[in-house]
Amino acid sequence: MVKTTGNPDVSTSLGRMKLKNPVMVASGTFGFGEDHRDFLDLNQLGAIIPKGVSLRPVPGNPPPRLFETEGGILNSIGLQNPGLDVFVNEKMPFLRTLDTCVIVNFFGNSDKDYIELAERLNEVPGISGLEMNVSCPNMSRGGIVFCTDPRMTYELVRDVKKATALPLVVKLSPNVTDITAMAKSVEDAGADAVSLVNTFRAMAINIHSRKPELANVFGGLSGPAIKPIALRMVWEVSQAIKIPVIGIGGITKAEDALEFVLAGASAVQVGTANLVRPTTGMEVVRGIRKYLLRYHMDRFQTLIGLSKKTLLPQI
Amino acid sequence: MAVETKGTIVSNRNIQADYFRLEIHCPPIAQPVKSGQFVMLRAAPGPSPLLKRPFSVYQRYSVRHPDPGRRGNLVIIYRRVGKGTERMTQLKRGEEVELIGPLGNGFRLPPLPSSKNMILIGGGVGIVSLFSLAGASSPEKLFVFVGGRTKEDVLCLSDFRKVTRHVHVATDDGSLGFKGTIVDLFRSEKKRFDGKDTWYVYSCGPMAMLKGLSEAVSSKPFMCQASLETRMACGFGACYGCVVKTKDPETPYHRVCKEGPVFDLQDILWD
Repeated sequence: MVKTTGNPDVSTSLGRMKLKNPVMVASGTFGFGEDHRDFLDLNQLGAIIPKGVSLRPVPGNPPPRLFETEGGILNSIGLQNPGLDVFVNEKMPFLRTLDTCVIVNFFGNSDKDYIELAERLNEVPGISGLEMNVSCPNMSRGGIVFCTDPRMTYELVRDVKKATALPLVVKLSPNVTDITAMAKSVEDAGADAVSLVNTFRAMAINIHSRKPELANVFGGLSGPAIKPIALRMVWEVSQAIKIPVIGIGGITKAEDALEFVLAGASAVQVGTANLVRPTTGMEVVRGIRKYLLRYHMDRFQTLIGLSKKTLLPQI
Repeated sequence: MAVETKGTIVSNRNIQADYFRLEIHCPPIAQPVKSGQFVMLRAAPGPSPLLKRPFSVYQRYSVRHPDPGRRGNLVIIYRRVGKGTERMTQLKRGEEVELIGPLGNGFRLPPLPSSKNMILIGGGVGIVSLFSLAGASSPEKLFVFVGGRTKEDVLCLSDFRKVTRHVHVATDDGSLGFKGTIVDLFRSEKKRFDGKDTWYVYSCGPMAMLKGLSEAVSSKPFMCQASLETRMACGFGACYGCVVKTKDPETPYHRVCKEGPVFDLQDILWD
């Protein structure tokens, strides 16, 4: 008889950061929280990660910015955001009223940008942690994308870490030769956790107009299409480092989230699915509870990395 | 306030060529929806297509409508263009679809009291979003311009003819009405609107049409609002995917789903 009632402990922790449940919403798929509040009780989420913020406003890329592919979406929004001042003065007051963690995603185009952001966000009340987007070009180093160079990323994360007392999550890009090497340098630099993966660089061409579908030519691929690759990366990274891993990539239901957890993720982020069904995050939490009840487990954290443990040689 | 909900198919029929009329029972959206607002709809229970698609509401019936079979229904006119709309053509009475709505800012009606001089200009399936405005004017002061590539693409003519005798039609190939674009036809008729009265123009159609129209209505006596069509992912403001470039110097890209879909045509910045 499957147990269907009870109250398993679904809390999780990312180092010093304690979450009421392991389901967050990914940056860029949830606006600043305001757009989703018509549809769900935001307090039921483990954490909210608003749209990435930069020091100054970013207008974003010209349209078209979107194209749907098989099981996924290509986007080239271009990190449009109103800048730190507007974020702090106009977006934080609402986010601060919520009874859940707010993890602020931020990005820059130089070490200086990142450090100044980390310093200033450190002073803003109501923030539980920071998530650093390192998939941006370093304009003071000829536009090399930070996360493609382990050394550059190491130095950046180390300096940002010094600039803030808030827990620091580094969001890893899958567009690298060896994501575990990146994860290790981020861990060595003092990050509290890593989140992976960001979108896959991709494109589509319209065969009738013979032009790329996105004005920016390239975009980031997200959605169910990327899940198996993201899962493999979470498996590898969680084996390579000791700090907590947050799994991201094509999660649309509890079963997807559970795969990431069994692969070694301490928490997950729902991304693209927030755009299709705004209540997905809440449903994933519900599904995880049901799963725990079904298998008579009291604590969510027991599941973390369980698939790997089953593969260990039995002595 | 928008809701994420399900709707039940009441009817789904082919009205002409690749165009279909879908009536959905969905009181939480049908009751509050206003002229120019839209819904996001997804017909497939499976994973593909992934995203919902935006549709304007052609007609809505209040929950107190005299015909009980119509109460709380929405009508959408759609064109079969891709996989998603192909799947929609197979929807049967009683089946469910996923919906979010009502979304966006609708049309602003002419200020009251006014002479309510209204001109509706729609290209292709764009005309659909304008029908709900027809009742806001009087038959003598309502002019409708309906355009399409061929006569097969000219929609809702008989419905408009029931509310006004001033219905003008243009087709690119001349198979019905004026041969040329609907903007060409409007330009040729423009003189009749000269005078001291303001004409409130409402338009919807492809970007190329709206760009042409923005030149034609750039001066008095016209005040023009346009409902824009762009690719959307969420429809409710979260993704910033559906933007249009405006003359706003601080934030040039505005979200069509949230700040729109209705804009003052003069605020759009054309390439």
